[in-house]
Amino acid sequence: MTATQVDRGSTETTTVYTEGPDLVMERVFDAPRDLVWQVITDPERITNWWGPHGYTTTVEEMDVRPGGRWRFIQHTTGGEDVPFKGEYLEVVPPERVVQTFIFDVEPFNNEAAITTLTLEDLGGRTKMTSRDRFPSVESLEGALSTGMVGGAIQTWDRLAAVLGEAG
Amino acid sequence: MKRNTEMEPDRLSITFAALADPTRRAILARLALGEATVTELAAPFDMSLPGISKHLKVLQRAGLIEQGRQAQWRPCRLAPEPLRSVADWVGQYRRHWEQSFERLDAYLRDLQDKQEQGKGDDDDRDPSRPR
Repeated sequence: MTATQVDRGSTETTTVYTEGPDLVMERVFDAPRDLVWQVITDPERITNWWGPHGYTTTVEEMDVRPGGRWRFIQHTTGGEDVPFKGEYLEVVPPERVVQTFIFDVEPFNNEAAITTLTLEDLGGRTKMTSRDRFPSVESLEGALSTGMVGGAIQTWDRLAAVLGEAG
Repeated sequence: MKRNTEMEPDRLSITFAALADPTRRAILARLALGEATVTELAAPFDMSLPGISKHLKVLQRAGLIEQGRQAQWRPCRLAPEPLRSVADWVGQYRRHWEQSFERLDAYLRDLQDKQEQGKGDDDDRDPSRPR
């Protein structure tokens, strides 16, 4: 049985839909795949684009290899610190990363989403697909109610800008 | 019955501590109207989920709200039982303020009688002080 795809606020640049307990985002970046891979797996560079506009990020830990952990602190414009963490499950340069994604605040950190990030080479351009699999539809809808899609789209806008400067 | 107040705070202290914050009282006021999810509760305060979650944890520990342990996205519900203890405690002092009101009534009646008797003869008296 396949779940139906439901659009969840796609924009001109980014396709966003849910499918069962999955949140899927797709966007084509105007940069070669190797460069996209470098920018998304480099702890030095991730602070340049991770998080919505106006937010800054501190990388506490980012060990991009199977079994390695990551933990980022997002500093909001309101001066609050919002921690996220996870573990890398699969790392296949330059095409795929599978990692857990945990909103590290009690009681939300009792469950993890599993994010699969796929980079597809379009010859000088790259299609990035992110699929977050939540433990349940309820968790997915809860996360969506926080406005996470808007934040993720802004994050990808910032990534596109960083890739533009690097390219 | 003797309570061991030094080792751990009694229920009433925990309840009062939970109530001693305007955001938490506003959360309770919102929940008195019906269930609400964490994101719905966070919205009017322009607060992040970590911020609101801290307040919810305090209210939860005080037993003032209910939410399934593994169900962080489920709506929270008001659990009013601890508020009964607060009302009972405050209620002990009800007769004191009611007595004060009775004394104030008597004083005001007295004052009105004096005023009707005529002006000018009580200039040396402090009107704000009961006799």
